[in-house]
This record gives sequence, C-alpha cells and structure tokens, in this order.
Amino acid sequence: MNLLALIFVAILANNIVLSQFLGICPYLGLSRKLETSVGMGLAVVFVMTMSAIVTWIIDLFLLQPFSLEYLRTIAFILIIAGLVQFVEMVLKKTNPALFRALGIYLPLITTNCTILGVAILNVQSQHNIVETIVYSIATGVGFTLAMVLMAGIRERLELATMSSYLKGAAVTLVSAGILSLAFMGFKGMVAL
Amino acid sequence: MSTLAQEFSKGIFKENPTFRLLLGMCPTLAITTTAFFGFGMGVSVLAVLLCSNIVISAVRNLIPDKVRMPAYILIIAAFVSATDMLLNAYVPDLHKALGIFIPLIVVNCIIMGRAEAFARKNNVVRSILDALGMGVGVTISLTLVGIIRELFGAGSIFGFNIMGSAYEPMMLLASPPGAFITLGILLGLCNFAFKRLGIE
Amino acid sequence: MELVMSMAIIGGLGLFFAIVLAYAAQRFAVEEDPRVEMVIDLLPGANCGACGFSGCAAAAEKICCGEVPVDSCIPGGKAVCDSICEVLGVAAVASEGRKVAEIHCLGSRDVAPDKFEYQGVHDCKAAMMYSGGFKACSYGCLGLGTCVEVCPFDALSMGANGLPQVDTEKCTGCGVCAKACPRGVIHIVSADRKAKYVPCNSHDRGKTVRQVCEVGCIACRACVRACPNEAITMEDNLAVINRDKCDDCGKCVEVCKRGIIKDVGKVLVVA
Repeated sequence: MNLLALIFVAILANNIVLSQFLGICPYLGLSRKLETSVGMGLAVVFVMTMSAIVTWIIDLFLLQPFSLEYLRTIAFILIIAGLVQFVEMVLKKTNPALFRALGIYLPLITTNCTILGVAILNVQSQHNIVETIVYSIATGVGFTLAMVLMAGIRERLELATMSSYLKGAAVTLVSAGILSLAFMGFKGMVAL
Repeated sequence: MSTLAQEFSKGIFKENPTFRLLLGMCPTLAITTTAFFGFGMGVSVLAVLLCSNIVISAVRNLIPDKVRMPAYILIIAAFVSATDMLLNAYVPDLHKALGIFIPLIVVNCIIMGRAEAFARKNNVVRSILDALGMGVGVTISLTLVGIIRELFGAGSIFGFNIMGSAYEPMMLLASPPGAFITLGILLGLCNFAFKRLGIE
Repeated sequence: MELVMSMAIIGGLGLFFAIVLAYAAQRFAVEEDPRVEMVIDLLPGANCGACGFSGCAAAAEKICCGEVPVDSCIPGGKAVCDSICEVLGVAAVASEGRKVAEIHCLGSRDVAPDKFEYQGVHDCKAAMMYSGGFKACSYGCLGLGTCVEVCPFDALSMGANGLPQVDTEKCTGCGVCAKACPRGVIHIVSADRKAKYVPCNSHDRGKTVRQVCEVGCIACRACVRACPNEAITMEDNLAVINRDKCDDCGKCVEVCKRGIIKDVGKVLVVA
C-alpha cells in the first residue's frame, strides 16, 4: 500500500475513533470544549508517534530475534508508561510553554488505548519504519479531527432542548454514531 | 462500611461500569457485533479484573505510593497476556474476533480504575467481591448490547436464528455507527429506568 | 533459555526505564514556587475567569511570578487581595473596592414588545443569531436568562417581569454575566455607588425608541438641562449620569418624561 493511501485510510476511511473504536474514553470526556479537544489531539499525535517509533525498534531488535512476541503487550505498555513520564519531565524543564499546553493531557494518555493500539497495529501489520511514522501521525490527526468535529457539535448540543435522560453521554454517543455514518462514506473510496 | 453483598451487587446496578460510570467504552462499542463476542469480552475482563484485584489488594501494603501506577500496569499486563494466550489456545475463533481488543484490556479504565479506587484500599475478600460484581456488570452490559445488535443486525441471538428467514437484517446496527447509536439509546433508557426506580 | 530471555528483556526494560526516569527526575527537576499552592488556596476557587485566566490555578501562578497585580481576583475583592499580599510579602495595595453587576434595561415584555415570536433555543446568544434577536428594541434585554445560567455565584435570577435581577449580597462583580450578555445590557459598577442612574441601553434615536419601548431613553435632553451640577451628558442618544458629579438632588427624575431615571436602591431591590 502506498503512503498516500495509508494516510487517507488512517484519517478518514478507517478513522481510529469512529470506525476502530479506540480512544473512546477521552473522546467522550474531553470533547466538551474546542480548546481542550485540540490540546488533547496534539498531545496524542506527539506521544503516539514517539511511542510507535520506540516500540517498533524494541519489537524488531529485542522481541522478534528471541521469538518473544507474546511479551508485546507487557513490554509495550512498560515502554509507553516510561516514555510518557519521561516526556513530561523533559517538556516541563525545556519547554514550559508547550508543557502548559499539553501537560495536563499527558498523564491521561498513558491509559489511552489509542497509543498502545497503534503501537500493536503497526507491528501486527508489519509496517516498516517509514510506514510506522506516517501511520502514527495520520492516525493522530484522524483522532484530532474526530475530537474537533465532536467538540463543535457538542458546543451546539449544550443549547439544544431535549429529554433530560438523553443529555450528556447518551446524546453524544448518538451524535458520534451519525458522525461515524458520515465517515463510512469514505470507505468506498479506497480498497482496504 | 457496606456489607459484603452490597460490595458485589453495586457493580451490577448502582455502579455498573458501562452504563453508569461510562468506563471501558472501547470494547463495548467495538466487539459487540454479536452476543457471543460481547459475552466473551465480558468474561475476559472479569477474569483479568478478578486476578489483578486479588494480587493488588494482597500486595497493596508492599508497593510504595510513588511507583504504584507502573506496578499496577505491569500486574494487569501480565494477566492480560495470559488471557490472550488462553483464548488463543482454547477459543481461537473468539480470539480472532476480539483481535486487538484483548491486549487493550491492559488500558481498560475499568481495571485500572478498580485497582486505584478499590483494591488499593481494601482487603482481598472485599476486592474479590468487588471484581466479581464489576466483572458481571460488564459481562451483562456487553452481552446486552451484543444481543440487541445481533438480533437486529443479523436476526439471531447467540447464533440461533430468531427472526426467521424473511427478516431483512439492518446492516446499520452491525456496522460501527450502529454501535454508537445503540449504546447512546441504551444509556438514555438506563437513565430513564434508574430515575424511575429511584436509584441515583 | 526462553524463560531467562523473557525475564531478562522485561526486567532489563524495567530497569532501563527506572534508571532513565530517576536520572531525568533529577536532571530535569523544575523548582515550583511553593507560594503558588498557598495562593490557590486563598483564591475563591470558583474558576469564574473574570481575571482573564482559565482558572484560579493559572491566575495564582501569574500572581506569584508578578506578571499581574495581586488584586487581579475581582470576586475575591479586598479580603483575598490582602491575604495574598501577606503570603507574598508585598505591601497591601489599595483595591478599587467591591463591584456589582447592574442591569441597564427596564423593557419588560409589556412595555417593550417583540417583533416576532421566537421559538428557538432558550439562550440569548442563540436568539441573537436569529435576525438580531426577537425584541423590537435592538439594545434591550432579551430575557432568556443566559446571564443567570453563567453566573458562577448564583447572584442573578429571572424576575417576574422577564428581566434579570441582581442579588447584590451574592454578586461579586466578576463580570462573567456582562461578557455573556450578547446585548451588553449588564454593566459592572462600584458596589457603594449612590445617586441616580439610567437603566436603558438604547443608542437608537428618540423616534425609534418611542416605537419599540414605552420606557426607553428618547434622548430629549430634559435631564441634561435640568441638572444643576452638569452631571448628565448625552452620549450617542443615551443619557449618562456621571456619578462623581451627581449629588442625588432628584431634579432629573422630575423632568424625565419617560420616568426612566431611577434611584440605585429602588431598582435593585429584588422583588
């Protein structure tokens, strides 16, 4: 698969949130305001790319040679947790402005299934290093896109009159369903 | 201090992780295309939750506060890997269907949440009951969503044809948007039911 | 062999990250100002945003590093300002005193009619988007209560006449309502103000005001001429009373044909 198709699939046709169901928790929790959704999205792109590269390297040079693929889950989560903590410390010292923008989202990211999911998907679909980087960034952008769209919808939903039982998560999920329906339209454009 | 029975039952109704606490939504949406997959996922979560709650509550006084998160994640990851291998060995069909969502049980907020909120502060017996309650709660919810989506999306429940051959399956409910919409409506119904029953 | 290898790899990874993190914790340690925490505790914690920052924590940080004055917290007023000064060890500054919100419109439904029936979202901002609001007067209060919703201190309520009322006891003058009001009806003024004021917001010409409202200021200048202290001026078709010059003589109230000049106390009393 060429890179352009990979990007297209990752952002639109196979959007990580709307068709692969990864990262639903932050999607529901943080899409209330446009500001926070953009911040979270950028933090995810950043961490996702870094962790995908590191896990890809570890998998190729440590796990595969000793046929220890069954250790992937445990090794990857270890790497991601360590990496996120490390990035947090370095950012805080070297770039306080960026830390202030992304900092509060970093701890949330450790237990975000998109990061571990993308790391595992990269290895499972046997991407090379270039594909890994491109796929991770594109997936992150797809996540951000879904977040921003949802935040825009929710800011309007706040004002809408509806049954009190549906308010909050319920109506958000239904709106996400309709959004996901729209994204399904992209599926026909590429052969997966 | 709540009674032991309450410790168990709270996970099923009052603090149902899926419908009340909105935890672990990713597998709830992704793998509930059939009732059996939902049930399988629920049981996997139950097993991991039970094991991790037991271990974490047993060693809760040994782990220093500063490194408790990484320690919990490691414990959970170990049990998830074991579940992964067991499913692959005994129910390969289910393993294939659940796919990436098995390793992702590691980052399922239910398990980490119970470790942090409950097992860390309570003894082994209570933690077991808590894990059982929460696990059963998850299993029931996932199976319920699975039943609804399978019934309308394929006309069957647990693989048994219910609707008859004349039924035209609603493809929407089997596809990703259907997952969001089904769960959204179920959540609304739950809110309504809980309000009517007077459970806040 | 495999057992040893897997133990070595997981153990090694764990050890590696432990060492890197321990090193990073020292190498990249950031000294945090302990006073920030103390200031956060002193601030009201309503995160109202009146200071211009995203919340009390952000404001505390800015106050501690001296980027903004110690009296930045408007709702906290003098009491909070003084205690912050104590923590930071700076001399107390003279604060401007307490402020409150003031509603500058008397155009309830019966005196200022609507130009069309609005059945949209119950929110003033949303109503404004629909051909500039349903009220015939394009400056008056729409009365859908967006200000009541946003008030972090529950100081605003909707009166029986469809206009918001300020509970001056609860109001802190944070100005969140003034920012939320799409028509700019709410003004933030000093709490210990006396004298008269003109509860109208209309900058329309007198003829237009007459058509849309029974009580709005028509800019007839009668009060300007009557005032012995030259405290009243006509600013863009609206009488404005300079509270420093006004001595509360009441001559303007007598001459006002629309009965729009009010005593502060009389209008603000919650009915």
